[in-house]
Amino acid sequence: MINLNSVDRIQAFRYMGFYGEPDENFMKLADICEKKLLSAIKPRYCWQLFQKSDIKFLLLGNDIQKHLEHCEQVILFCATLSQSTDTCIRITQTSDILAGMMIDAMASALTEQLCDSVEQEILINFKNKYSTWRFSAGYGDMPLQIQDDFLKLIHAQKRIGVCVTDSGLMIPRKSVTAIIGLSDTPIKKSQKGCITCNLFQNCPYRAKGGHCN
Amino acid sequence: MSLNFKKILEQEKFLVLDGGMGTMLQAGGLKLGGIPEMLNFTNPDLITNIHKAYVNAGADIVYTNTFGANRLKMAKTHKSVQQIIKTAIANAKKSGAKYIALDIGPIGQLLEPTGTLKFEEAYDIFKEQIQAGEEADFIVFETMTDLLEVRAGVLAGREYGNGKPILVTMTFEENKRTFTGCEIPAMALTLEGLGVDAIGINCSLGPEELMPIVKELCQWTNLPVIVKPNAGLPDPVTNAYHFNAEKFGSCCEKFIDMGAVILGGCCGTTPEHIKAIVTMLKNKNPVQRKIAIPSAVCSANKTVIINQPRVIGERINPTGKKRFKQALIEQDIDYILNQAIQQIEAGADILDVNVGLPDINESDMMQSAVKAIQGITDTPLQLDTTDSKALEAGLRCYNGKPIVNSVNGEEESLNTVLPLVKKYGASVVGLTLDKNGIPKTAQGRFEIAERILNRALALGIRKEDVFIDCLTLTASAEQEGVMQTLEALHRVKTELGLHTVLGVSNISFGLPNRELVTRNFLTMALYAGLDLPIINPNTASMMSCVRTYKLLANIDKNAVDFIAHYGLDSAQPKPKNLQDSSNINLESAILSGLKSEAGMITKKLLESTEPMVIVNDMLIPALDRAGADFETGKIFLPQLISSASSAQSAFEVIKNYLCKSETESVNRGTIVLATVKGDIHDIGKNIVKILLENYGYEVIDLGKDVPYESVVEATKQSHALLVGLSALMTTTLPSMEATIKLLHEHCPWCKTVVGGAVLTADYAEKIGADFYAKDAKETVDIAKQVFLN
Repeated sequence: MINLNSVDRIQAFRYMGFYGEPDENFMKLADICEKKLLSAIKPRYCWQLFQKSDIKFLLLGNDIQKHLEHCEQVILFCATLSQSTDTCIRITQTSDILAGMMIDAMASALTEQLCDSVEQEILINFKNKYSTWRFSAGYGDMPLQIQDDFLKLIHAQKRIGVCVTDSGLMIPRKSVTAIIGLSDTPIKKSQKGCITCNLFQNCPYRAKGGHCN
Repeated sequence: MSLNFKKILEQEKFLVLDGGMGTMLQAGGLKLGGIPEMLNFTNPDLITNIHKAYVNAGADIVYTNTFGANRLKMAKTHKSVQQIIKTAIANAKKSGAKYIALDIGPIGQLLEPTGTLKFEEAYDIFKEQIQAGEEADFIVFETMTDLLEVRAGVLAGREYGNGKPILVTMTFEENKRTFTGCEIPAMALTLEGLGVDAIGINCSLGPEELMPIVKELCQWTNLPVIVKPNAGLPDPVTNAYHFNAEKFGSCCEKFIDMGAVILGGCCGTTPEHIKAIVTMLKNKNPVQRKIAIPSAVCSANKTVIINQPRVIGERINPTGKKRFKQALIEQDIDYILNQAIQQIEAGADILDVNVGLPDINESDMMQSAVKAIQGITDTPLQLDTTDSKALEAGLRCYNGKPIVNSVNGEEESLNTVLPLVKKYGASVVGLTLDKNGIPKTAQGRFEIAERILNRALALGIRKEDVFIDCLTLTASAEQEGVMQTLEALHRVKTELGLHTVLGVSNISFGLPNRELVTRNFLTMALYAGLDLPIINPNTASMMSCVRTYKLLANIDKNAVDFIAHYGLDSAQPKPKNLQDSSNINLESAILSGLKSEAGMITKKLLESTEPMVIVNDMLIPALDRAGADFETGKIFLPQLISSASSAQSAFEVIKNYLCKSETESVNRGTIVLATVKGDIHDIGKNIVKILLENYGYEVIDLGKDVPYESVVEATKQSHALLVGLSALMTTTLPSMEATIKLLHEHCPWCKTVVGGAVLTADYAEKIGADFYAKDAKETVDIAKQVFLN
């Protein structure tokens, strides 16, 4: 059972470009936003197991190939906070842009938290297998263009209401697709690094040549 | 010659649909990632044989293999929608099925405002499918989750389907809502209103989980009910469904007892499942249903039953409001949205929407207002216009069942408004006036009400959907008319059995202490039988009057709602007194992000200071300081936005003041802003907008996912010197480039500034932008440079 009852605020504040020490007003706003968001979200996910050889057409790019090098089977999953979350962000933004921005950032953080829980829940079914960390389109050289086929393979629209626009954007906005490789033998886990981070494109730490933690 | 669905059903007693197609196709060799519709060409025998298997199992109706055969999903194939659908129908016909239904699934992209697909585009996509499916007997929409998308399809079906019966099934979760939040009553009210022939449920769940959903649907419609469940839930490891045929058949028997008359199977079901249904039906007879459906209006996600006084908020209306008129002229939708939010928070159940002004295109405005308001609220709307084109524009895109305000007793009005009410399945307000004006007596108004009702009934509009407004006259001018209004209202309610609506504010016009008069009149009207008071819910005494009435009339049982609003625990925090903030000035209010204080201080300042002095000497320097602090890293983006929001509330006070004194508004230059086509991330753009507006620029905000041509059009029309474009994804950068190229071609006078997470100065230069702004603050600096101010 997926249970999301608090937001990773450190991550959320980072997403909204806030790196300072939050004052009382800011924390009060965060409390209001968190409450509003948690009552708006409808976390859903769906997944399916495939033989790697059956879905070669989806696994484009060298990075995913390498990532799944020693895997025979792959899990494709999609998780979403659902349309009600988009609506909540939109409504909040209309009357208060700062609160809108905060809820948006919190929802991004929460989506990652959702994925962590989903991953755990799925892997319960494969206790005897070794797994890779989850890899998403847009990491490394895996193109966003696969999103459409990805969602079709697991019937994501029918099962959890997730679609994709022509530009490869998933809707509802707070949705993630990911690939986990499975193997019968231990997998040497590669470094996750910055490419999996939501802030990969515009991280102030990376801009200065460093990283966050 | 189109078929009469009612007659078919009478003859057949029950209709049996086919079962799953996808599972059968996979068993027949459809590869993972393959396009099922292409099998109509590559393996037509497989398709015909699947249909045949269902016909042999006893299905009366087979669905064509065209679930995804729309121009978006088929773009990757080399076949046209026409070719695919015509071939699929031919394959289905070869099976010898009694009836062929053109199967239409969801488009595959979500509609605005959550998605990017426009209602009109959705309509056009469905229209193409429906025209290609000419040879089918019925049109079926299935697995739908968005009521607005269904409305687009049903309208296309009604307008281009040559009268073919239309069947709609939607997909619900166990919480009795679709993924988009659509409720069962809203689905039923809306689709029955639009005149579809049968409605129901398919997919998502197995028959056991669907029981409560089907039960509720049967309570909300008199249409034939369809149920097409999955064979249980899929196993993610094997992708198999496990619900066996025999159990499936016996579960389906319960649907028949609830009142369903059309049954079939969805994912995972096979000819065996259909055979089980046919066997089960052998000894069954349809349940005779006659449901009394209450008066109700709805959006997709919320139904308001008119079984007690429901407040209609009147504030979205430019009459007598200069600031509202200005907002309409400037197409400032956010202003209208905030009017909507305030009224809902104050307790409005329904919102009246009137956006008529002589100088604007009311149809376009009505459409944008309806779409935008529905994007941020579930509260049902009342479309208020005298322009039948604007009315139809609003009705077409409205998601749910609205109220039309209004029709009156004049022939012309009856002839134009009522057919629209019928076609779009709305409720309607009837005004008791005609070509001779408003009758002086209650009897005269009663007679007009009766006439309106009869005309509505003759067109097939239900009595429950006609609300009568007996019209409030001003007590100061026509004192003797007040009781006539109330008597007419009472008679309409008791003798005609209709719900009543009344705008009450007018009563006190020209009198002192208007609020006192209006409030008392409202109580009298409620007691006389008023169901739908049209009031300003932001006036606390008006809402308290309605809540008190509901308490005294034993509607608000145990005074739950009353205590919630006025009990000790709910004592509202008193609005902050200005004195609390007298020790801070505008600059520190803005720098500290104190929104309401900034507004109050500005109000006070305007008593002694020129508005432009406030803007130039206080607001802008404060923002400059916040901007400088941001640049040096003293504050972060959230604090900058917080300051900008405070400045915005100060600005709103100034705007209101200027509107009242009819002074020219502040405008340091016009700037067009847009998030480029394909991209829907607009928070960054909205932050830029607020900051620019704070500095006194007029911003024409085109929103997100904006076509290249619209940017050019708006720039041409406004002759803006600066266009700001935003994009957040690498995949939408080409759209940015294309927009800039088109702007340079058609608007050589304008400069472009671009921004967004994935942009860099180098890339901006490469795609031909004049400026790159790394954040909102820099955009303001660039604007100052372009406008030389």
